[in-house]
Amino acid sequence: MNNNSINNSMTKTLTFAFMDPPFEHERTITFFRLLDSALEKNANVRVFAYEGAVALAFARQQPHGNAVHSRDTEAEKHPLTKDWIAALQSKAKDKGLAFEWINCGLCVDERGVNEAIDGCARGGPADFWRYASTAHNTLTIGTR
Amino acid sequence: MSDYLFVQSQDPFTDARASHQYDLAARLADSGNQVRVLLVQNGVAPARKGAACPAFDALLGSTVKVLADDVALRQREFAPEHLRDGVQAAELGVVVDAMLAGHKVIWN
Repeated sequence: MNNNSINNSMTKTLTFAFMDPPFEHERTITFFRLLDSALEKNANVRVFAYEGAVALAFARQQPHGNAVHSRDTEAEKHPLTKDWIAALQSKAKDKGLAFEWINCGLCVDERGVNEAIDGCARGGPADFWRYASTAHNTLTIGTR
Repeated sequence: MSDYLFVQSQDPFTDARASHQYDLAARLADSGNQVRVLLVQNGVAPARKGAACPAFDALLGSTVKVLADDVALRQREFAPEHLRDGVQAAELGVVVDAMLAGHKVIWN
């Protein structure tokens, strides 16, 4: 907590479940916009990532250039979801809010994306139940 | 009676189930619930003037309040004058507001 801390017993916690992988669908953008909005509105955030979404926090994501458009890596500024998660973690910390993230362990193992960035833990469906049953509200964003 | 917010990412031109999702929203409203639909992503497609979609016409003819994500509209070159009557541009934050208010928020 810091001097800007607003977290108290009145702060509500919202849970989100998400299953889309990075770099594929507009849903991922909408999902991250929702997380940012929740922090903007001073809610604690919990995320349960499953299926392809466990790769959102994969620490070995790398930016790349775009030779077709003659842009090197720096010019391309390819966005990485691991960086978006880190930015949300930082934003939550600055506001004194909680930002928790759990990846489904089975989904991680299937995809070999065990190396998650700091602050993103490994768990299972029981964690989603715990998140949802103790949150003020929960939104599940199904792929289809 | 309950408050519902459907986050409508599916559009009726590529997802056949979208028309049934509109119908469910309208029926919930007919049953006395407060129902809103927020169009996001390609879900905004039928909100353009001239779009031919009887199922969406029926939704607009119901008591359901229809909103459209302003970012999704801008991404698709929707100017305000392009929106059909009965559709109101809104910020995505209405989803979080609804969650914080304890409403039933459902992703389609």
